[in-house]
Amino acid sequence: MIQSIARTAPRVARGGLTAAGVVILVLLFAFPLLWMVLSSFKTTAHVVSDAYPFTWRSIFPAAPTWGNYDSLFRDFGFGRTLLNTLVASVGQVVGSLVVCTLAGYAFARSQMRFRGLLFGLCMVGAFIPIEATVVPLYRVVKELGLLSTYPVLFLPFICNPFGVYLMRQAFRDLPHELFEAAAMDGAHGRTVFWRIALPNVRPALASLALIQFIWSWSNYFWPLVAMQTPTRQVAQVAMAALQTSANSQPLYGQMFAAASVVTVPLVILAISLQQYYVRGMLTIGIK
Amino acid sequence: MLAGLTLFQFYPVVVAAVQSFQSFNPFTGATEGFDGLANYQALFSDPAFLAALRNTIIYIALTIAVEIPLALFLAQLINSRLPASGLLRITVIATLAASETVAVLVWNRLYDPTHGLFNSVLHLVGIGAQPFLISSVQALPSIVVMAAWKNVGLAVLIFLAGLQNVPPDLHEAASLDGAGPGRRCRSITWPFLRRYAVVSLFVSTVAATRVFTPVMLMTQGGPENGTTNLTYYTYQQAFQFSQYGVADAATVCLIAILSVVTLIQALALRDRE
Repeated sequence: MIQSIARTAPRVARGGLTAAGVVILVLLFAFPLLWMVLSSFKTTAHVVSDAYPFTWRSIFPAAPTWGNYDSLFRDFGFGRTLLNTLVASVGQVVGSLVVCTLAGYAFARSQMRFRGLLFGLCMVGAFIPIEATVVPLYRVVKELGLLSTYPVLFLPFICNPFGVYLMRQAFRDLPHELFEAAAMDGAHGRTVFWRIALPNVRPALASLALIQFIWSWSNYFWPLVAMQTPTRQVAQVAMAALQTSANSQPLYGQMFAAASVVTVPLVILAISLQQYYVRGMLTIGIK
Repeated sequence: MLAGLTLFQFYPVVVAAVQSFQSFNPFTGATEGFDGLANYQALFSDPAFLAALRNTIIYIALTIAVEIPLALFLAQLINSRLPASGLLRITVIATLAASETVAVLVWNRLYDPTHGLFNSVLHLVGIGAQPFLISSVQALPSIVVMAAWKNVGLAVLIFLAGLQNVPPDLHEAASLDGAGPGRRCRSITWPFLRRYAVVSLFVSTVAATRVFTPVMLMTQGGPENGTTNLTYYTYQQAFQFSQYGVADAATVCLIAILSVVTLIQALALRDRE
């Protein structure tokens, strides 16, 4: 009895210690995001003056205020900005769901000629990140007269190679018996797609939608270049402008508030749907 | 699908390749006919471009050096099912879902040389104030550390998927045979993990090549071109100096580097299989 206590006690203590270590690591790792939310309740003056030298005020707001949030929506029209971002993100989700699902289905099930070659071509696109082609892409959309319109925010990205890959994989993983049974029942073409294939790849559709939404929501470089009408600008660009507003002091209070408004819902979304999120991210990573 | 892909993915690349040999009217942006290798000559005689080229390589090397070991450590920790490791997994997902712009804006405040939290903590433990982003030596590593924090989650998820393939009985059997943790890691975990390591290496490399937001919002490529890279250089040439031909030539170089890196890693991956 005593022996067994003597043996387990250090183990429990060590377990508690490692748990404490992990919790400290979690706090350190999450710190920038936690600090962002805490700082959003500080005035800009306090954001600047409280950080140095180090006191408890460096982290926690001494006199928490909703002022930054008020100002953000009243003085900077952030509601409209969020709406613009939502339009871009929903456009991208809907567009890529349609395009990637159809293309993925074709690549997975049809017997068309050059299927492998076409799919290979499609995948080459995955290795050319948007950052590398912003300049020529900018000129393409300019020639098309799309500059500063809403579609320019999502149209170039709905033909997404990752999405096509994800959907093709999902359709390929469906058991053959499913389609054989459908054929025996006399179902053809569209009926098979709508009634049999599509309902069975719902998890993949959810992954695709979630990944595309988060990606579009976080996009900064492309809207910075292609959206030149301030009232139609998206949240990431508008938020960054608060840091470097040319004619006034940086507005760190409002900036932290904007960052919190933009981030908190997205993080909650990703965590609550993490099985779809992780699955989608892994399909992007592991090819 | 293919039409869209062609229009928005391949056509721009072709446009860039063709127009990198043309001269442009800087005011209207219209092409003025072919100009041979003039754009490339301008490119390679521009010290800012050479700095961008060098920094792009440094970004890749440093990112791999920081991110991969960190990802491996975090993935092991999450996979070991310690108490609170679920919390760590959620944290990793949270940083991954937050946008890069948010990360940059927050870390900008942390790195601030006079009012930054990092310096205030360093002061607390008796270390003098560091310049971080305003030093041509520290700026690039500071960006890499910020980016590693933001991006490590994807590598962690990839490694976690790999670790979950390792049968737990193998570890038990090996430890019964007297294999220590180091030996178990090398002979059992690593063979399962190798393929995933190559994948996360690839993902980190591409991410390091396309760094833009931090350079734009933290340093504008400075100090003394210390943080500029090909992506930012291209942006500057096109949208600040209206040098479209030079920007296109730089785009071609960027895609060439990406292709070479991708090819090397694809070959490495194939060898393993």
